[in-house]
Amino acid sequence: MDNTRNNTRQWVHGLTALILGLFLLGISSSLGVVKNIVDLWGTLLSVPEYPAVVMREIYLDWRAWTRDKNSLNREVKQLREENAQLRIELAKLTSGKIYSDDKNSESKTARVTLRAPMSWWNEIRIDRGEVDKITQGLPVFYNGYLIGRVSTVSSMSSWAELITSPSFMIPAVIEETRELGVVVGDGNGTVLMRYIPAGRGVKDGMKVSTAMIGEQLPPGLPIGKIASEVSSGSDGYATYRIDPGADLSRFYTVSY
Amino acid sequence: MLLVILWLIQDFLTVFGGGGMQVPGLFMLGIVYKLLFDDGSDDSLWAIWAAFAGGILWDLRWVGIPGFFTLAHVIVVLIVLQVWGMIPPQARDSGNTIIVFMLMELSQLLPPMLPVLILGGNIGWTFFLIQQAYSLPAILFTMYIYLKRVKDSKKV
Repeated sequence: MDNTRNNTRQWVHGLTALILGLFLLGISSSLGVVKNIVDLWGTLLSVPEYPAVVMREIYLDWRAWTRDKNSLNREVKQLREENAQLRIELAKLTSGKIYSDDKNSESKTARVTLRAPMSWWNEIRIDRGEVDKITQGLPVFYNGYLIGRVSTVSSMSSWAELITSPSFMIPAVIEETRELGVVVGDGNGTVLMRYIPAGRGVKDGMKVSTAMIGEQLPPGLPIGKIASEVSSGSDGYATYRIDPGADLSRFYTVSY
Repeated sequence: MLLVILWLIQDFLTVFGGGGMQVPGLFMLGIVYKLLFDDGSDDSLWAIWAAFAGGILWDLRWVGIPGFFTLAHVIVVLIVLQVWGMIPPQARDSGNTIIVFMLMELSQLLPPMLPVLILGGNIGWTFFLIQQAYSLPAILFTMYIYLKRVKDSKKV
């Protein structure tokens, strides 16, 4: 009996609420006072809603900042790559001006006349000398990559020290990260890059070229690519093995 | 008091979502949750008028025309009262997980759908999926609290 009474009461109250809701729905669109109530209610709620508004603004700012940062990072990376390419081009033009005797910057070739087995990875002799305007310190290339520099010059021939020689030490730069180090050979066919601060994001395949701080060689002469990390010392500096761009086992001529 | 807090949290989340997000209906979940532990006495009438008041305030804040959520809230409460009233009180504590879930789901699905049904608009799968993505975690959480409370009451 009680249940039936309760059920009836529920229906009465429920239907009353529904009719009232429908009535409000029907008349509210034509009543101007509803607008005022909506405005007033919105104003009252603006107080408890204020933290949400602030948090939303912070979130939107953070999202915009992240998007801008990613976009800028992409742009910086692209500009770095462009810059590295331009440096190489500039270096090629500069070295052409400095070392070329004529106004054409075309490189000249020389034949390798001696590569002694005892100093296989240290030096070569070429068939060009003073009469061909060869000077000490002149860079020597194979396939467009630096393989050494002229160490001694005689009238008809010259000796060039190879980059695999332990006494060949030149400042070089990793083009992608602009980290500076020293390129040096080990006398056994391996080329190393030393004194790179560890943990600077140096990756395999990054390009290595001569650095501007070297006095003897112009900057931007391509040497090769980073092949692998050899060691990371306790002094905070890492040594990398360089894969030379030129095949140092199979050259019979060089350019300069 | 709990319902007032839930209403304000729901409003807070809607503001944070920029008004375009299908925020879970925490207020209605709270009402349904309380009704599930109601013994079917006269006291359950509070739910009808609480839903009415919460709906009208929501309409005034987010719809601009009072009536849409007001009606939906009252309909949900009436359905919950009738369905839950049909189950004997002794049988309510066991084996009704699906019915409880359906009642909570109804409280989340009907209110946002009613304005679209009345005014017209596209109720596609996208609407349903987005609405579910936001409300389902809230429903599952309420279910967890409900089942835990039922389990605890059995122990006592």
